[in-house]
Amino acid sequence: MKLFNEIYKYREFLKTSIKKDFRGKYKKSILGVLWSFLNPLFQLLIYALVFPFILKNDVDNYIIFLIVALMPWNFFNMTILQSAACIVSNGGIIKKVFFPREILPISTTTSNLINFLITCIIVFAALFISGIGIGPSIVMLPLIVLIQYIFQLGLSFIFSSITVYIRDIEYLLNVFMMLMFYMCPIVYSADMIPNKFLPLFKLNPMFHIIEYYRQILYYKQMPNITNLLWLLGICIIILALGLMIFKKLEKRFAEEL
Amino acid sequence: MKNNEIAIEIKNMSKNFIIYADKANTLKERIIRFNKNNKEIRMVLENINLKIKRGETVALIGVNGSGKSTLLKLITKIIYPSKGTIKVNGKVSSLLELGAGFHPDFSGRENIYFNASIFGLTKSEIDKRIDSIINFSELGEYIDSPIRTYSSGMYMRLAFSVAINVDADVILIDEILAVGDQRFQEKCMNKMLELKKQGKTMVFVSHSAAAVEFLCDRAIWLNNGKIEMDGNTKDVLEKYTKICG
Repeated sequence: MKLFNEIYKYREFLKTSIKKDFRGKYKKSILGVLWSFLNPLFQLLIYALVFPFILKNDVDNYIIFLIVALMPWNFFNMTILQSAACIVSNGGIIKKVFFPREILPISTTTSNLINFLITCIIVFAALFISGIGIGPSIVMLPLIVLIQYIFQLGLSFIFSSITVYIRDIEYLLNVFMMLMFYMCPIVYSADMIPNKFLPLFKLNPMFHIIEYYRQILYYKQMPNITNLLWLLGICIIILALGLMIFKKLEKRFAEEL
Repeated sequence: MKNNEIAIEIKNMSKNFIIYADKANTLKERIIRFNKNNKEIRMVLENINLKIKRGETVALIGVNGSGKSTLLKLITKIIYPSKGTIKVNGKVSSLLELGAGFHPDFSGRENIYFNASIFGLTKSEIDKRIDSIINFSELGEYIDSPIRTYSSGMYMRLAFSVAINVDADVILIDEILAVGDQRFQEKCMNKMLELKKQGKTMVFVSHSAAAVEFLCDRAIWLNNGKIEMDGNTKDVLEKYTKICG
């Protein structure tokens, strides 16, 4: 509760920090925020060429199948990679001024959320152009986004604080995220996974999150509410755990940086 | 003494720094040097007990490396004590380093917003203060130019103006009064005197005996991480100059 109070007091700093994270990314590039669209669009084109033609994947409407999973994945990927650096790269102000350190991972996660919401425009455009459109299941989308945000916030707290002590985390995560990409049903569908490996894949909350996005947007089916609430609960636990780790480690940030 | 009259209370507080001869920052180094003891624990502050009342203006004096700045950092909660407790009542503004978070590409005005927000001010609070901040900085029309075009004096003036206008109850100042020219320095001193009259608690580190005498009622002399003497400014300064002169 005390933490909420503090963050509320420093809300202006949180706002400027999110703005700086968001704008700073494309500062000095000619196309600016347009890269938020172009980057995923090119990535989509590449995957859409590689997987159906070269690997002989025969899913209907593969581009849509791909895009509804790829955009949430990008949100995840960018948040985690930037989180790892967010405390270290702000060493200057951490050593000089007091402010609730939690603001930095919150700001990184939130600016990526905004970026994700912008790329959702591409997703919806693709859904309508392809004729799939949207169904009533769309009402569940905000809940899935919320679950993903909570999950990522938790991981963001964990990785940002540990990286201060072990700088390798930043580089290890690069490799790890590459693995994670293939551990989630993004370019393939979950039923292609051999049954004996499936439980292993399902340990990963991101696996389910991606599955829900596809279920809601591509198959236009209502997800099972009980399972969804379970996932929400687990993500809240991860967030609480992340905050605990962060609280423990933040005391020596100024000395370790 | 009633509790709400105390602004800062430090009890049995010690602080060590772990000094790495050669810091293992990466996992590889950590594994290779596992068990090799290349660190040293250095006691920077030892068993400090201190009570500062509301409205007091206190100077911390002592030679370089005696722990003055570390003590200020501990009071601001940038670092935390290894032992003991520090309690601060009220909002703290620390002028440990001027211009934290200044971005060279943004204008002076934008940087005021950014810098003041780090001190925990909301937008409307900054809106209310912005005119007095700009006035105090005497930057005039330059306020809307990017601060990379500023001279170092202008930069410091702007930073000081923001920090001094953050309405805090406890103000911590670390040897930053060498701002601008003679006239601006006098202006800063007068501003501090004004804050003192408003009943703000101030703790400030300085090597300038004149400034200390001008502003403070009480002086604390730190020597090797311990309080050597605590008392009336004049007495402490006298003894300090006799010994460390």
